[in-house]
Amino acid sequence: MIEVAGLRVVLPPATVALHGIDLVVRQGEFVVVLGRSGAGKTTFLRSLNRLVEPTAGTVRVAGRAITGAGATELRAVRRQIGMVFQQFNLVRRASVLENVLAGRLGYVPSVASVLGRFPQTDLELARTCLAQVGLVHLADRRADTLSGGEQQRVAIARALAQRPAVILADEPTASLDPALTSSIMDILKTINREHGLTLVVSQHQLETALAYATRIVGFRQGRVAFDGPPAAVTPAVVQAIYGDGDGR
Amino acid sequence: MTRAALFVAVIVLAWLVWDTGADPVRLARGVPWILDFIRRMMPPDLRVLPAALLGALKTVEIALLGTAVAAVMALPLGFLSARNVAPGPVFYPARAVLNFFRSVDTLVYALVFVAAVGLGPFPGVLAVVAYTTTSLAKLYSEAVEGIDPGPVDAITATGATRLQILRFGVMPQILPLFLSYVLYRLESNIRAATVLGFVGAGGIGFYLQTYLRMIDYPAASTVLLVTVAMVMVVDAISSRLRDRLV
Repeated sequence: MIEVAGLRVVLPPATVALHGIDLVVRQGEFVVVLGRSGAGKTTFLRSLNRLVEPTAGTVRVAGRAITGAGATELRAVRRQIGMVFQQFNLVRRASVLENVLAGRLGYVPSVASVLGRFPQTDLELARTCLAQVGLVHLADRRADTLSGGEQQRVAIARALAQRPAVILADEPTASLDPALTSSIMDILKTINREHGLTLVVSQHQLETALAYATRIVGFRQGRVAFDGPPAAVTPAVVQAIYGDGDGR
Repeated sequence: MTRAALFVAVIVLAWLVWDTGADPVRLARGVPWILDFIRRMMPPDLRVLPAALLGALKTVEIALLGTAVAAVMALPLGFLSARNVAPGPVFYPARAVLNFFRSVDTLVYALVFVAAVGLGPFPGVLAVVAYTTTSLAKLYSEAVEGIDPGPVDAITATGATRLQILRFGVMPQILPLFLSYVLYRLESNIRAATVLGFVGAGGIGFYLQTYLRMIDYPAASTVLLVTVAMVMVVDAISSRLRDRLV
């Protein structure tokens, strides 16, 4: 579903964030990306939909190359990739429903959408997606009046509205109360199980990662330090991913 | 360090007092004259009220039209002088143009435009446009620079076009700010426009200057009272509108 080959990212001015990553994610996998902050987790996720421009290498999602794609093709591939962010990134002043509808932007005619016109089927789909995260009763509320946990669920609904093949989630629970972590991760797990959606989620909490993932990928200093099932994560593996605390 | 700065400040202030001839005794001696001036303004001559109201209306019109035109003209300039939108070769010249034109006050523009297009409210409108366009552009560009990149990323990630990103990721963040800046400029422009008449650029200032020249203080005081009322009414309406934007 996601094929990454030789992915190298140099961030300006000269920070090598990723040193040639090779990774294949199969359909229906729930991959959790682990690593210290600065290990390259966020850069990796953001280069999968080219929010970060890869310096070298190729990324293919659902059989289509996103690296090297022109503007139109890039948007067409991005539609297939839902993304959930640590800071939710909702449009704060817009309503919850409008935020979810934004997930349809890749499908609707540009000019009509700018005037605020969406097809009836998209409105229904947006409500369905809100129902999936249990927030259909808040559809007309302004996004910034919701709690953090609710905002993140709206963000998941927005990603679902894209009818994506893949959802990327960059530390989706890091800005939330620890008690809310499982509610968000449970929703992601349900999406993964019931809809067969492929998930790539970065996490800094090891226990959470092990509880939800079908596969763990550990990043260290821009390289894959571990790749395997949660059951194979031994103390030695944890040491390999996180090091011994001095950061080297 | 702070003590040295304080010392320098005291020296500078003392020199300013000396060089501007600031003298409390002279002020005290002038107080009776001020009181006499106020006494001679009383009671206001209400016969000139219709003329003053017409003048006030013209002033509001000048400020409204000037601000509206400037609000639109400032849009491209505002984006071009935002560091996070415009590339360096565009940004630096745009900023320089803004700072150059902003350093000249509305009243000075009015002198230029009266000379160019003649007396009346029209040069007043032009003067308001000239100053407000650049000052709004500066405020716009700061709003654009203060934008949260998160929602822009999120909208981009859905596969949206550039136009859609602008409409759904950028505009909701900056539009309320832009509108509140426009209202704020409108309030200051009303005040600036009251004196445009002094240089022949229309509005209530023309009446004030005329009556003062004719030494008709009761009439001038009516004009002053109308000016105060006009500014207060516009401020009240505008600040109520601004509160609703946030």
